Amino acid sequence: MSFDVFLQLFVQGVITGCVYAVAALGFVLIYKSSRVINLAHGYLIAVGGFSVYALYNLFHGWLGDSSSPFLSFIPAAIGGLVISYYAGLLIERVFLRPMVGEPIISVIMITIGLGSLLSGILHLTPFGAGNFSFTPPLFATSSIQLGSISISPNQLMGVVIAIVFLVGFTYFFRRSTLGIAMRAVADDQLASQSVGVSVEKVFAIAWAAAGLTTAAAGFTVGAISGLTIDNFEGIGLKVLPAVILGGLDSIEGAIVGGIIVGLLENLAAGFLDGFVPGGGTSEVIPFVMLIAVLMVKPYGLFGTKEIERV
Amino acid sequence: MPASRFTQTGNYKTTYPQDSSVFATSAEFVSLGVLLLVLLVIPFLIPSSNLKTLDTILVYAIAVLGLNITTGYTGLINVGQAAFLGVGAYTAAIFATKFGLPFYLCIPLGGVVSAIVGGIVGLPSMRLKHLYLAIATIAFQQIFRWGVGHSDLLQQGQSINMPAPVIFGTEIGYLLHNKFWYYVALFFLIVLALIWRNLMRSKFGRSLVAVRDNDRAADAMGINPGTTKVTAFILGSFYAGIAGALFAYLYRGAQVEDYTLAVSIKFLAMAIVGGLGSLPGAFFGAAFLQLLDDGATSLGAWLSGILPQIQGVDIGTAMRPLTFGLVIILFLIFEPRGLANFWRLIRSYFKTFPFKY
Repeated sequence: MSFDVFLQLFVQGVITGCVYAVAALGFVLIYKSSRVINLAHGYLIAVGGFSVYALYNLFHGWLGDSSSPFLSFIPAAIGGLVISYYAGLLIERVFLRPMVGEPIISVIMITIGLGSLLSGILHLTPFGAGNFSFTPPLFATSSIQLGSISISPNQLMGVVIAIVFLVGFTYFFRRSTLGIAMRAVADDQLASQSVGVSVEKVFAIAWAAAGLTTAAAGFTVGAISGLTIDNFEGIGLKVLPAVILGGLDSIEGAIVGGIIVGLLENLAAGFLDGFVPGGGTSEVIPFVMLIAVLMVKPYGLFGTKEIERV
Repeated sequence: MPASRFTQTGNYKTTYPQDSSVFATSAEFVSLGVLLLVLLVIPFLIPSSNLKTLDTILVYAIAVLGLNITTGYTGLINVGQAAFLGVGAYTAAIFATKFGLPFYLCIPLGGVVSAIVGGIVGLPSMRLKHLYLAIATIAFQQIFRWGVGHSDLLQQGQSINMPAPVIFGTEIGYLLHNKFWYYVALFFLIVLALIWRNLMRSKFGRSLVAVRDNDRAADAMGINPGTTKVTAFILGSFYAGIAGALFAYLYRGAQVEDYTLAVSIKFLAMAIVGGLGSLPGAFFGAAFLQLLDDGATSLGAWLSGILPQIQGVDIGTAMRPLTFGLVIILFLIFEPRGLANFWRLIRSYFKTFPFKY
């Protein structure tokens, strides 16, 4: 295998990894503040992705084919962010609020139920069965050549959006008052309540912020691999290896974990598929890695180690 | 002593053996007998096509009973029960087709092999807790599916046809298929339910609950949490293996599509809707969700018949996830103790009639 092929796989791996990183970011935001493991995350991303897609087509239909694609894309992206922000708030208020203080299995099951419900709702729309590729013609060229590797501009934009979100949320958690309040709640709910942090508000904000990331992740998926429910379901599961590797409650971990899972997938597809009859190792490698990480280092690379007392 | 052995309004138990007895009153003993009698004659009362649904419910109830050991009693969240069913099904399929073993050996063998796999998969539970373990079982489920899909021996997950069962030299044909497997499933269900019920009266059963409630405290009291958890996994997957082998025979083939993550989630939902850690709950949950699934399918077909068609929308496929998700959410929010709690309330209503309590 030549070095060029390796480089191309590497770049593709980083690009897919960015999708996983944004998806994992939303997952970690929810877990970090409210200790909820969100198994409906793939469907939330689907809601975000499909709403950007639907809004883009709507605006583009209004403005006519001759208009600049940016003119419909930017309002569509903003609209998608608003929709998924409120979707996050609504889900927290209706489904997760009654589960505060319930055993873990109930919380896990309610996110599973939520995922099933969302998939049912998506099947009621034309998005349920179809396969949509979302590549608005934003750029003149169809691929950029960097030496021997080629990237499509839409993929590059997906990566840029991913990086903006990742940097933005890292900064938000480090510096802003609300971010510090969220970290405080994650650390000790009782103590943060006693210094005047509203735990309820923090939970709601966490879900709303996760909603924002799902719109970004949804768009990025659309630009990179196409919009289908199966695709989103797959991402909802692939988020798990990413967050476990990075540490469930670490934003840096979500980024590193996401990119490593993306790399692992693409490199496995390139190097291991030849040795396995039938190929398709990229489907299973992340989960094998997950088990290995759980056995060796259950709290991941950057996760906080929990100390248990009787 | 209570005035009557049949109607008992208070708690008259004075010794531990009395408290842990299987039947609190003679009425319970009698009603169980009546229930068994009804179960034995049902195949002659309902049409054969409906009997298949009932067969499926019985098989799923076995799987849910197993899940109730790992998840309900030991608190190990297992999102991979369907994969254990798959292990049982494929074991039975291989022993039946490659070695020609009869079904009454293949089904227990399915349970045993599944239990061994369960012991291996359960090993991480010595170190991991709660949601970490849930995630590990999801990963196992995905690895299982991939492994079956890439195995020539298992025909890449395509259906492996099961031979028709032969008993006393006669082959059970298509006409008797549903009836025959009804009685086999019922037999295994009764035996496994008996074991289940008695397990919870034993020291080991109580140590499962102790580990669930606080494994550090259980450790301090001389229970080894690690071995207890792994044993719970072994037992739970033994039940699953039996159910899987039965399922493969009932549907005349073992195929990977019957043992996916969605099916695992269905089992968890059955356990919760029925009531975690409850014996009647396992039956109620399995029956309720299976009938709901059938109902949702026919509702979807009916709705897509009367509603105007929209391009690209398939209401039929939407109904199943929609109702499934809604039922889980409603139960978790409004009745987390499940159908078993309704059953308890109904019984206590009649027991204390005409008083409220």
